[in-house]
Amino acid sequence: MNGKDGYWHPLISGIILGFVLFISFMVAGQGMGASGAFARISAQLTYLYDSAFVDNLYASKYLFNGNALANWTVVEIFGIFLGGYLSAMFAGRIKQGIDKADNYPTYKRLFFAFLGGFIMAGATRLARGCTSGQALDGAATFSVGSWIFMLAAFGTGFIVAPLFKKQWGI
Amino acid sequence: MYPLFTTGMIDNNQNLLYGLIIGILFGIVLERTGFGSSKHIAPIFYFKNLKVSQTIVSAIVTCSTLIVIASYNGWLDYNQVFIPDTYIWPYLVGGILFGGSMVMSGWCPGTAVVGFASGKIDAAVFLLGLLCGMWFYFDIYDSIEAFANSGYLGRFTIHDLIGGDIYTSSYIVTVLLGAFLAIFMNTMKSIRDKKEKQ
Repeated sequence: MNGKDGYWHPLISGIILGFVLFISFMVAGQGMGASGAFARISAQLTYLYDSAFVDNLYASKYLFNGNALANWTVVEIFGIFLGGYLSAMFAGRIKQGIDKADNYPTYKRLFFAFLGGFIMAGATRLARGCTSGQALDGAATFSVGSWIFMLAAFGTGFIVAPLFKKQWGI
Repeated sequence: MYPLFTTGMIDNNQNLLYGLIIGILFGIVLERTGFGSSKHIAPIFYFKNLKVSQTIVSAIVTCSTLIVIASYNGWLDYNQVFIPDTYIWPYLVGGILFGGSMVMSGWCPGTAVVGFASGKIDAAVFLLGLLCGMWFYFDIYDSIEAFANSGYLGRFTIHDLIGGDIYTSSYIVTVLLGAFLAIFMNTMKSIRDKKEKQ
Protein backbone atom coordinates (compact mmCIF):
# COMPACT_ATOMS: atom_id res chain seq x y z
CA MET A 1 0.00 0.00 0.00
CA ASN A 2 2.97 2.33 0.54
CA GLY A 3 4.28 4.40 -2.35
CA LYS A 4 7.91 5.29 -3.06
CA ASP A 5 7.90 7.99 -0.39
CA GLY A 6 6.65 5.64 2.34
CA TYR A 7 3.12 7.04 2.38
CA TRP A 8 -0.18 5.53 1.29
CA HIS A 9 -1.42 6.43 -2.16
CA PRO A 10 -3.78 9.43 -1.65
CA LEU A 11 -6.63 7.84 -3.62
CA ILE A 12 -6.50 4.77 -1.36
CA SER A 13 -6.24 6.98 1.75
CA GLY A 14 -9.30 8.83 0.52
CA ILE A 15 -11.32 5.62 0.17
CA ILE A 16 -10.36 4.57 3.71
CA LEU A 17 -11.12 8.09 4.97
CA GLY A 18 -14.50 7.92 3.21
CA PHE A 19 -15.31 4.68 5.07
CA VAL A 20 -14.25 6.20 8.41
CA LEU A 21 -16.40 9.26 7.68
CA PHE A 22 -19.33 7.00 6.77
CA ILE A 23 -18.93 5.07 10.05
CA SER A 24 -18.94 8.41 11.87
CA PHE A 25 -22.25 9.37 10.24
CA MET A 26 -23.72 5.91 10.94
CA VAL A 27 -22.71 5.97 14.61
CA ALA A 28 -22.82 9.59 15.76
CA GLY A 29 -24.99 11.10 13.04
CA GLN A 30 -22.26 13.65 12.37
CA GLY A 31 -18.96 13.67 10.55
CA MET A 32 -15.50 14.31 11.95
CA GLY A 33 -14.56 17.84 12.99
CA ALA A 34 -11.52 19.72 14.20
CA SER A 35 -11.92 23.49 14.51
CA GLY A 36 -14.91 23.26 16.88
CA ALA A 37 -12.74 21.45 19.43
CA PHE A 38 -10.25 24.32 19.46
CA ALA A 39 -13.03 26.87 19.86
CA ARG A 40 -14.18 24.90 22.91
CA ILE A 41 -10.66 24.54 24.35
CA SER A 42 -10.10 28.29 23.93
CA ALA A 43 -13.45 29.07 25.60
CA GLN A 44 -12.70 26.70 28.49
CA LEU A 45 -9.21 28.16 29.10
CA THR A 46 -10.61 31.71 29.13
CA TYR A 47 -13.38 30.61 31.50
CA LEU A 48 -10.83 29.19 33.95
CA TYR A 49 -9.26 32.65 34.29
CA ASP A 50 -12.46 34.64 34.11
CA SER A 51 -15.72 33.00 35.11
CA ALA A 52 -17.68 36.03 33.81
CA PHE A 53 -16.75 34.73 30.33
CA VAL A 54 -19.69 32.36 30.63
CA ASP A 55 -21.83 35.35 29.53
CA ASN A 56 -19.85 35.92 26.32
CA LEU A 57 -22.29 36.15 23.44
CA TYR A 58 -20.58 33.40 21.40
CA ALA A 59 -18.87 31.21 24.00
CA SER A 60 -21.95 30.94 26.24
CA LYS A 61 -23.30 28.17 23.99
CA TYR A 62 -20.21 26.10 24.89
CA LEU A 63 -20.01 27.07 28.56
CA PHE A 64 -23.63 26.94 29.70
CA ASN A 65 -22.96 23.89 31.90
CA GLY A 66 -19.47 25.01 32.93
CA ASN A 67 -17.63 22.43 30.84
CA ALA A 68 -17.08 23.13 27.16
CA LEU A 69 -14.89 20.03 26.79
CA ALA A 70 -17.57 17.37 27.38
CA ASN A 71 -18.21 17.15 23.66
CA TRP A 72 -17.92 14.61 20.84
CA THR A 73 -15.53 16.66 18.68
CA VAL A 74 -13.20 17.35 21.63
CA VAL A 75 -12.94 13.62 22.39
CA GLU A 76 -12.50 12.89 18.67
CA ILE A 77 -9.68 15.46 18.31
CA PHE A 78 -7.89 13.74 21.20
CA GLY A 79 -8.27 10.54 19.15
CA ILE A 80 -6.73 12.26 16.12
CA PHE A 81 -3.73 13.21 18.23
CA LEU A 82 -3.43 9.67 19.57
CA GLY A 83 -3.85 8.03 16.16
CA GLY A 84 -1.42 10.47 14.55
CA TYR A 85 1.13 9.90 17.29
CA LEU A 86 0.91 6.09 17.16
CA SER A 87 1.04 6.04 13.38
CA ALA A 88 4.06 8.38 13.25
CA MET A 89 5.78 6.38 16.00
CA PHE A 90 5.40 3.04 14.22
CA ALA A 91 6.57 4.64 10.97
CA GLY A 92 9.58 6.20 12.75
CA ARG A 93 8.45 9.66 11.68
CA ILE A 94 8.38 11.47 15.04
CA LYS A 95 11.02 14.14 14.72
CA GLN A 96 11.16 17.57 16.23
CA GLY A 97 11.49 20.15 13.49
CA ILE A 98 9.95 22.90 11.40
CA ASP A 99 8.50 22.32 7.95
CA LYS A 100 9.96 24.98 5.66
CA ALA A 101 12.47 25.50 2.87
CA ASP A 102 16.01 25.07 4.22
CA ASN A 103 17.06 28.66 3.51
CA TYR A 104 13.85 30.27 4.81
CA PRO A 105 14.21 32.16 8.12
CA THR A 106 12.70 30.27 11.08
CA TYR A 107 11.19 33.36 12.72
CA LYS A 108 9.30 34.22 9.53
CA ARG A 109 7.96 30.69 9.17
CA LEU A 110 6.77 30.62 12.78
CA PHE A 111 5.26 34.11 12.44
CA PHE A 112 3.21 32.99 9.43
CA ALA A 113 2.23 29.77 11.21
CA PHE A 114 0.90 31.79 14.15
CA LEU A 115 -0.79 34.46 12.03
CA GLY A 116 -2.31 31.80 9.78
CA GLY A 117 -3.74 30.03 12.83
CA PHE A 118 -5.04 33.30 14.25
CA ILE A 119 -6.88 34.25 11.04
CA MET A 120 -8.09 30.70 10.44
CA ALA A 121 -9.81 30.66 13.84
CA GLY A 122 -12.21 33.43 12.83
CA ALA A 123 -12.59 31.89 9.37
CA THR A 124 -13.78 28.58 10.86
CA ARG A 125 -16.26 30.33 13.16
CA LEU A 126 -17.76 32.28 10.24
CA ALA A 127 -17.86 29.11 8.12
CA ARG A 128 -19.03 26.83 10.96
CA GLY A 129 -16.18 24.42 10.32
CA CYS A 130 -12.94 23.71 8.53
CA THR A 131 -11.61 21.20 6.01
CA SER A 132 -13.11 18.37 8.09
CA GLY A 133 -16.37 19.63 9.55
CA GLN A 134 -17.38 21.79 6.64
CA ALA A 135 -15.61 20.70 3.42
CA LEU A 136 -15.52 16.91 3.91
CA ASP A 137 -18.67 16.32 5.97
CA GLY A 138 -20.81 18.87 4.18
CA ALA A 139 -19.78 17.88 0.66
CA ALA A 140 -20.34 14.18 1.44
CA THR A 141 -23.86 15.00 2.65
CA PHE A 142 -24.61 17.30 -0.33
CA SER A 143 -24.70 20.63 1.53
CA VAL A 144 -24.63 23.70 -0.72
CA GLY A 145 -22.83 25.76 1.94
CA SER A 146 -19.85 23.41 1.86
CA TRP A 147 -19.39 24.07 -1.83
CA ILE A 148 -19.44 27.84 -1.26
CA PHE A 149 -16.79 27.31 1.44
CA MET A 150 -14.61 24.92 -0.61
CA LEU A 151 -14.65 27.03 -3.77
CA ALA A 152 -13.82 30.20 -1.82
CA ALA A 153 -11.09 28.49 0.23
CA PHE A 154 -9.29 26.63 -2.54
CA GLY A 155 -9.84 29.45 -5.07
CA THR A 156 -8.20 31.93 -2.69
CA GLY A 157 -5.49 29.41 -1.89
CA PHE A 158 -4.45 29.12 -5.55
CA ILE A 159 -4.55 32.91 -5.98
CA VAL A 160 -2.44 33.88 -2.95
CA ALA A 161 -0.05 30.90 -3.13
CA PRO A 162 2.70 32.76 -5.05
CA LEU A 163 3.06 35.15 -2.06
CA PHE A 164 4.27 32.28 0.12
CA LYS A 165 6.31 30.39 -2.44
CA LYS A 166 9.66 31.04 -0.75
CA GLN A 167 8.41 29.52 2.48
CA TRP A 168 8.31 26.09 0.86
CA GLY A 169 11.12 26.51 -1.64
CA ILE A 170 8.74 25.55 -4.43
CA MET B 1 -31.68 1.94 12.14
CA TYR B 2 -28.75 4.30 11.87
CA PRO B 3 -27.34 6.77 13.00
CA LEU B 4 -27.00 4.82 16.25
CA PHE B 5 -26.76 7.86 18.50
CA THR B 6 -29.54 10.06 17.12
CA THR B 7 -31.97 7.11 16.98
CA GLY B 8 -31.21 6.29 20.62
CA MET B 9 -29.48 2.92 20.00
CA ILE B 10 -26.42 4.00 22.00
CA ASP B 11 -26.11 6.47 24.89
CA ASN B 12 -23.93 9.56 25.12
CA ASN B 13 -20.97 7.81 26.78
CA GLN B 14 -20.90 5.05 24.18
CA ASN B 15 -21.07 7.72 21.48
CA LEU B 16 -18.05 9.50 22.98
CA LEU B 17 -16.10 6.23 23.12
CA TYR B 18 -16.84 5.60 19.44
CA GLY B 19 -15.86 9.23 18.81
CA LEU B 20 -12.45 8.51 20.31
CA ILE B 21 -12.02 5.43 18.07
CA ILE B 22 -13.15 7.33 14.96
CA GLY B 23 -10.67 10.10 15.85
CA ILE B 24 -7.84 7.55 16.19
CA LEU B 25 -8.67 6.11 12.75
CA PHE B 26 -8.84 9.63 11.28
CA GLY B 27 -5.44 10.46 12.81
CA ILE B 28 -3.88 7.28 11.42
CA VAL B 29 -5.18 7.93 7.89
CA LEU B 30 -3.98 11.56 7.95
CA GLU B 31 -0.53 10.57 9.19
CA ARG B 32 -0.14 7.66 6.75
CA THR B 33 -1.06 9.93 3.82
CA GLY B 34 1.69 12.37 4.81
CA PHE B 35 -0.46 15.14 6.26
CA GLY B 36 1.61 15.26 9.46
CA SER B 37 3.91 17.53 7.47
CA SER B 38 2.95 20.80 5.79
CA LYS B 39 5.50 19.93 3.11
CA HIS B 40 2.94 17.45 1.80
CA ILE B 41 0.04 19.90 2.13
CA ALA B 42 1.35 23.20 0.72
CA PRO B 43 2.44 21.77 -2.71
CA ILE B 44 -1.22 21.37 -3.73
CA PHE B 45 -1.44 25.16 -4.13
CA TYR B 46 1.41 25.07 -6.63
CA PHE B 47 0.07 21.98 -8.48
CA LYS B 48 3.30 20.23 -7.50
CA ASN B 49 1.61 17.18 -6.04
CA LEU B 50 -2.08 16.41 -5.89
CA LYS B 51 -2.20 14.54 -2.57
CA VAL B 52 -4.65 16.88 -0.82
CA SER B 53 -7.15 17.04 -3.70
CA GLN B 54 -6.89 13.31 -4.43
CA THR B 55 -7.57 12.41 -0.80
CA ILE B 56 -10.46 14.86 -0.36
CA VAL B 57 -12.15 13.94 -3.65
CA SER B 58 -11.82 10.21 -3.12
CA ALA B 59 -13.08 10.50 0.48
CA ILE B 60 -16.12 12.60 -0.48
CA VAL B 61 -17.07 10.34 -3.39
CA THR B 62 -16.65 7.19 -1.27
CA CYS B 63 -18.60 8.52 1.70
CA SER B 64 -21.43 10.12 -0.28
CA THR B 65 -21.87 6.92 -2.31
CA LEU B 66 -22.03 4.85 0.89
CA ILE B 67 -24.59 7.29 2.33
CA VAL B 68 -26.75 6.93 -0.78
CA ILE B 69 -26.51 3.11 -0.65
CA ALA B 70 -27.32 3.09 3.07
CA SER B 71 -30.36 5.35 2.69
CA TYR B 72 -31.60 3.45 -0.40
CA ASN B 73 -31.62 0.27 1.66
CA GLY B 74 -33.30 2.01 4.58
CA TRP B 75 -30.35 1.53 6.96
CA LEU B 76 -29.57 5.20 7.40
CA ASP B 77 -32.04 8.01 8.03
CA TYR B 78 -30.48 10.80 5.94
CA ASN B 79 -32.74 13.37 7.61
CA GLN B 80 -31.12 12.61 10.97
CA VAL B 81 -27.61 13.15 9.64
CA PHE B 82 -26.19 16.46 10.82
CA ILE B 83 -25.44 18.90 8.00
CA PRO B 84 -24.16 22.37 8.88
CA ASP B 85 -26.74 25.05 8.02
CA THR B 86 -25.85 27.22 5.05
CA TYR B 87 -25.09 30.91 5.60
CA ILE B 88 -24.06 32.31 2.20
CA TRP B 89 -22.05 35.44 3.05
CA PRO B 90 -20.13 34.28 6.13
CA TYR B 91 -19.25 31.04 4.28
CA LEU B 92 -17.89 33.02 1.36
CA VAL B 93 -15.82 35.36 3.54
CA GLY B 94 -14.86 32.53 5.92
CA GLY B 95 -13.74 30.45 2.92
CA ILE B 96 -11.60 33.28 1.53
CA LEU B 97 -9.93 33.87 4.92
CA PHE B 98 -9.53 30.11 5.37
CA GLY B 99 -7.83 29.62 1.99
CA GLY B 100 -5.43 32.49 2.61
CA SER B 101 -4.50 31.34 6.09
CA MET B 102 -4.10 27.73 4.94
CA VAL B 103 -1.49 28.77 2.35
CA MET B 104 0.17 31.11 4.85
CA SER B 105 0.47 28.52 7.62
CA GLY B 106 0.59 25.26 5.65
CA TRP B 107 -1.87 23.70 8.09
CA CYS B 108 -5.54 23.29 8.82
CA PRO B 109 -6.85 22.42 12.30
CA GLY B 110 -7.01 18.63 11.76
CA THR B 111 -3.67 18.16 10.01
CA ALA B 112 -1.93 20.44 12.54
CA VAL B 113 -2.95 18.05 15.33
CA VAL B 114 -1.19 15.22 13.47
CA GLY B 115 1.78 17.53 12.76
CA PHE B 116 1.95 18.42 16.46
CA ALA B 117 1.85 14.71 17.35
CA SER B 118 4.75 14.12 14.93
CA GLY B 119 6.87 16.81 16.65
CA LYS B 120 6.39 19.73 14.24
CA ILE B 121 7.06 23.03 16.01
CA ASP B 122 5.30 25.06 13.31
CA ALA B 123 2.17 22.96 13.92
CA ALA B 124 2.33 23.75 17.65
CA VAL B 125 2.72 27.48 16.92
CA PHE B 126 -0.17 27.28 14.46
CA LEU B 127 -2.41 25.67 17.08
CA LEU B 128 -1.44 28.38 19.58
CA GLY B 129 -2.41 31.00 17.00
CA LEU B 130 -5.67 29.12 16.44
CA LEU B 131 -6.53 29.21 20.17
CA CYS B 132 -5.68 32.94 20.41
CA GLY B 133 -7.70 33.66 17.27
CA MET B 134 -10.72 31.86 18.74
CA TRP B 135 -10.49 34.06 21.82
CA PHE B 136 -10.27 37.15 19.61
CA TYR B 137 -13.37 36.02 17.70
CA PHE B 138 -15.35 35.53 20.92
CA ASP B 139 -14.25 39.00 22.00
CA ILE B 140 -15.39 40.80 18.84
CA TYR B 141 -18.40 38.58 18.13
CA ASP B 142 -21.06 41.08 19.25
CA SER B 143 -19.89 43.52 16.58
CA ILE B 144 -20.04 40.96 13.72
CA GLU B 145 -22.97 38.84 14.87
CA ALA B 146 -25.34 40.24 12.23
CA PHE B 147 -22.91 39.44 9.41
CA ALA B 148 -22.05 36.00 10.83
CA ASN B 149 -25.73 35.03 10.53
CA SER B 150 -26.48 36.63 7.17
CA GLY B 151 -27.66 34.74 4.08
CA TYR B 152 -29.23 32.00 6.20
CA LEU B 153 -30.75 29.10 4.24
CA GLY B 154 -30.94 26.40 6.95
CA ARG B 155 -30.23 22.75 6.04
CA PHE B 156 -29.81 23.36 2.35
CA THR B 157 -28.68 20.62 -0.05
CA ILE B 158 -27.89 20.47 -3.75
CA HIS B 159 -31.23 18.75 -4.42
CA ASP B 160 -33.02 21.50 -2.49
CA LEU B 161 -31.37 23.98 -4.84
CA ILE B 162 -31.93 22.31 -8.22
CA GLY B 163 -34.62 19.73 -7.47
CA GLY B 164 -34.44 15.95 -7.52
CA ASP B 165 -33.32 13.80 -4.59
CA ILE B 166 -30.09 12.58 -2.99
CA TYR B 167 -29.38 10.45 -6.09
CA THR B 168 -29.32 13.64 -8.19
CA SER B 169 -26.95 15.27 -5.70
CA SER B 170 -24.73 12.21 -5.52
CA TYR B 171 -24.45 12.06 -9.31
CA ILE B 172 -23.57 15.77 -9.56
CA VAL B 173 -21.02 15.64 -6.73
CA THR B 174 -19.29 12.59 -8.22
CA VAL B 175 -19.15 14.02 -11.76
CA LEU B 176 -18.02 17.49 -10.65
CA LEU B 177 -15.32 16.22 -8.30
CA GLY B 178 -14.15 13.59 -10.78
CA ALA B 179 -13.86 16.22 -13.51
CA PHE B 180 -12.10 18.63 -11.15
CA LEU B 181 -9.48 16.02 -10.31
CA ALA B 182 -9.10 14.26 -13.67
CA ILE B 183 -9.26 17.33 -15.89
CA PHE B 184 -8.47 20.54 -13.98
CA MET B 185 -5.88 19.36 -11.44
CA ASN B 186 -4.13 16.94 -13.79
CA THR B 187 -3.90 19.56 -16.55
CA MET B 188 -2.51 22.18 -14.18
CA LYS B 189 0.03 19.67 -12.87
CA SER B 190 1.24 18.66 -16.32
CA ILE B 191 1.55 22.34 -17.34
CA ARG B 192 3.64 22.88 -14.23
CA ASP B 193 5.76 19.79 -14.82
CA LYS B 194 6.47 20.95 -18.38
CA LYS B 195 7.52 24.40 -17.17
CA GLU B 196 9.84 22.86 -14.65
CA LYS B 197 11.62 20.77 -17.28
CA GLN B 198 12.41 23.83 -19.40
